[in-house]
Parts: sequence; structure tokens; C-alpha cells
Amino acid sequence: MDPYKVIKAEVLDVKDETPEIKTFVLKPEIDFEFKAGQFIQFTVFGVGEAPFTPSSSQFEKEKLEVTIMRTGRVTEVIHRLKKGDRVGIRGPLGNGYPLEEFEGKNILIVGGGVGLAPLRALLLSLLHQRDKYGRILLLYGAKTPEDIVYKNEFSKWKEKGVEVLRTCDNPDNSWKEKKGVVTCLFEDIKIRVDNFISVVCGPPIMMKFTTLKLLDIGFHPSKIYLSMEKNMSCGIGKCGHCALGKYFVCKDGPVFKYSEIKDIEGIWD
Amino acid sequence: MKYISFENFKNLIREVSEEKEVITSFKKDTYYDWKKCNGDEIDLRGFRTVLPLKYFFFSPQENLIEKEKKSFFIVGARACDLRGLELLKKIYLDEPEDPYYKKDNFIISVDCTEFHDNCFCVLLGDTPWPDTGFDLNISVLEDGYIVEVGSENGKEFIKKHENYFRDASSDEILKREKLREKIKNELSKKLENRKIDINKLKEKIEKNEDVFKEFGSKCVSCSACTNICPCCFCFFLSEGNKNKIRYIDSCQFKGYARVAGGANPRKDIIKRFKHRFLCKFSYRIDMQGIKGCTGCGRCIDGCQGGINFKEVIIRVNGE
Repeated sequence: MDPYKVIKAEVLDVKDETPEIKTFVLKPEIDFEFKAGQFIQFTVFGVGEAPFTPSSSQFEKEKLEVTIMRTGRVTEVIHRLKKGDRVGIRGPLGNGYPLEEFEGKNILIVGGGVGLAPLRALLLSLLHQRDKYGRILLLYGAKTPEDIVYKNEFSKWKEKGVEVLRTCDNPDNSWKEKKGVVTCLFEDIKIRVDNFISVVCGPPIMMKFTTLKLLDIGFHPSKIYLSMEKNMSCGIGKCGHCALGKYFVCKDGPVFKYSEIKDIEGIWD
Repeated sequence: MKYISFENFKNLIREVSEEKEVITSFKKDTYYDWKKCNGDEIDLRGFRTVLPLKYFFFSPQENLIEKEKKSFFIVGARACDLRGLELLKKIYLDEPEDPYYKKDNFIISVDCTEFHDNCFCVLLGDTPWPDTGFDLNISVLEDGYIVEVGSENGKEFIKKHENYFRDASSDEILKREKLREKIKNELSKKLENRKIDINKLKEKIEKNEDVFKEFGSKCVSCSACTNICPCCFCFFLSEGNKNKIRYIDSCQFKGYARVAGGANPRKDIIKRFKHRFLCKFSYRIDMQGIKGCTGCGRCIDGCQGGINFKEVIIRVNGE
């Protein structure tokens, strides 16, 4: 098996999330299974590849969704893809969220911006077997209401028993929910951290302050799961690009317990 | 332990070169390089080549496309090269195995009979001869070579060509041990009999800032040190027309760890410089169980900023 070989996939649909973010629905040519939190390398033939965590449920076997922000050379080209285009994927890569360890526990999910993508995969996977878990809380922050991803899905999640709180840094007058960065949502939740685990994904600065907040309210470092973003290239622990201290994020992560990485210098850089 | 005369060895290599591509180290002016060989000119005395052996195991730029792999028959690998390969094997052949890494090369290594000005393997507790990682290892005596078998392939090779060899005498084996001690002592003496405790070096590197600032400020991020290092394995995976292409890459380049959004954990040159030492003496030991430096000193040969990496280690280690 050649780990550098891509699996061909067809773009079934392209959904606009925000002006800079789109969700691509892919149909891989062969059966493709992954665990929420694992990532793939998304290949645009002849252009390059870039790492993304699928945003669809791990129990969805027919197709795969990937939510992508336009932010660099490869994503610029990805954003021009249309229904029917052919792309490639490599994976699944990395470790994913340990769903079995989450069973019977309350789960606090904290997301920022496009960082909600891997958390949506987690959330949908949890909802697939909702009764296995306790309370599920989702705290989500975006810059403006326009920057919120999956705009139409929050109400569905609420119906399925997710407690949702949202905030925007710079809302317009129509915004009726919280104003401020994501950590201010902690004012509005009442939890006893004993039987909780937390899962965080977002921009580095958001991950940093959320982690500090979680520690502050009593979360043990081993109960905080972080999806780390690094420059993954080979995706299989060989090329060295995604080094985070002694770890290769692509192979040892991208999901880490905070306790595993807390002593590494510059983890939020 | 076997013995083979110089003449027999030449004839043996001549015979092998009819079937396989033989690569050997050879002296060019004051340094050593690699070349194709048919047995005619072969002299295994001396020290390590300028370019490391690793590029016979993967190419600095290669198309990752399934094809028949040509393996090499290598003569003249040094201990530092083999120690580098031990790490490369752990990276490339760990699951999932990299199918483009050439694991079928046949390796005849040689004890160093001299050392380069920048060599410092004994400083790190290693020896100028290999203990493992070879198919056959050669020690040079006055009139021939002592041959030690290091693998099943090596054993079979000797069996196949047994008419070239005879058993080494105990006297010859004793000579080998004396020659080994002699070269080790000479190199130790040149390094003022210093020894570095690798287990304690990690923490010293982590805590030190000043030495890395002092030496790192001379770094020009050219990547010579990583390209020439027998342990450095990093590459960049790129997109070809129908397949992936990989290029060797360097953690010393500013854009190496940058992500598309712009975040870059090591945009500062001193951080990149220090990262290289942490990788070699901390991360690799923690994760692969071996250090990422063999003390070959090639990085010193190649450094465009005139940085003496051996001095960095000595200074960080402290007296």
C-alpha cells in the first residue's frame, strides 16, 4: 500500500458557508472510513494538497464533507472547484477523538470560526448515538454573524439535545445573542466539571484562552482535547513539517490532550 | 571473522560489479566522495565522505511513482553513516512504511583509519567503527582486510564467494582491536578527551538561550547543514502531473513550519537554530530512541555562516 497514493473523489456539491468558507461534499471512488478528528490531505491535481479535517459524521459512509476557508495557495484553487470536478484525497490520517472514552460523560465543545469543522464531525457522530453520552454543550464564537458556519444547522442540533450558546466579536444590530470572544460564554453556563470532558478547536489565540479558561474553572489538563493545526505535509510522520516538540502532529495528533503538550514551548504560536 | 587480501577484494568487487551497481568512497584531493566502481581502484583507508550515504536510500528529489527499484552495492560506508541510517530506517520504515525508501542496498562498511578535522563521534560516546547496521564490515590491515559479518545477507554473500576469503587468525583480530583503539584514542586526544553525557544534554539545550543566540545569529538559513547531515530526513511533498514528488526540505528555512493562515512557530532564526539541536538530542531520543547526530561534523564542513556545531554542543554542555 502506497501511503502517497491519492483516492480519487468527485465533488458532489459545493455549499457556501461564509464569503471565505465553503463546504465541499465529496464522493470517494472507493469506500472511505474515518474517525471524527482525523484529517485528510485534499489534493487538487497538478496544484498541490492541503490538510483538512472532514466535517461530516464518521457514520456517514456514502459521502464526505470538508469545510475549507480560503486562506492560501491551494485553498484559493479549491474554492474555484465546481460540482462534478475530480479531486483526490489521502487518508484518513492521524488519531481522531476517542469516542469510546467520551461514553457516559458530559461533553463541552468549544469552537471558534472555521474551527467548528472538526467539531461538527464530532457533534454529528455523537448525535448518531446520542443516548451514549450525557449533556452536550456547544459554545461557538465567530467574528460577525456573517462569519458563522453551518448557519442552518444549530437549530437542528438544539432539537437533538445539544445546548448551544453563540457569540460574535463584532455583531451588527440584528444580533440578539452574546457579544464578545468565545470565553465570555462561560459566564452563561453552569457545569460541574467532574464528569465533563472538553473539546476545543479554533484559531491558536482562541484555543489558548479557552484552554486557560477551562483550567480556571477546574478542568484537569487530561480532560481537555485540542485539535492542533500545524503544517502537515506527508501526513504519515516522515517529512517533519508538523513537529510540535517531540511529536509529529500528523501522526501523534492532530487531537492531543492538553496534558500531553502543555510543557512544550510555544504550542500556541 | 574472515580475512581477504587486497587483490582478492578487488577481484571480488569486479565480479560483483558485473551484476550490481557498486558505489564506493574514494579520495579526491583532500576529501572523500562517492563514485561508481568496478573494482579497479579501491582504497578503503581514510574517513567519511563529504556527502552522506543517505542519498543512496532516498533521492533529494524524486517522483513517487511505482517503478522497479534499483538497489546499490555500497562499499566504504563509515560508522557515522550507518548510525544515521538507523534513524532514517526508524522514520521511513515505521508504519506506514515508505515504499520509496531503498531498504535493499547491500552495505560494506569500513573502520575509519584517519579522521577529518571536524569529526567528533567519540565526543558523543560513539566509535569510529560500526557495531551494527552493516552487511559486512571491513577493518584495514597492512596487506588485506578483516571482514566481520553483520547480517544474514552478509553471511550468504561470503558463502557464495567463499573462495575469496579465509578465516582470520587470532593475531589478525588482535591487530584489528589495536588499530581501533589507536584511532579512537587519537580522535579523543584531538577532542581534548572531552565526553558529553547525551542524557543530560537535552535539559541543557532546553535551558540555554545565550549560546544559541551567539551561534545562531551567524546562521544564514542556507540548509547546507540539514542537506549534508546523515540523520536529517525532512522533506516536502509536492504535486507532480500524475503523482507526488518529494524534495528534501530544511527546518532551517523560514517558511518551513508556516501554515496557510500565516502562523509560524519558528519564524525567528534563533528558534529554528535551536530547534535543530532539540530535534537531534531530545525529540529523536524520546520518539525514535536514538539521537539524531552522529558527530560526523559534516554540518561544520558545509556551514556558510562558519558555525562550528561541535563547539555549540561543547559550550551548551559546559565544562
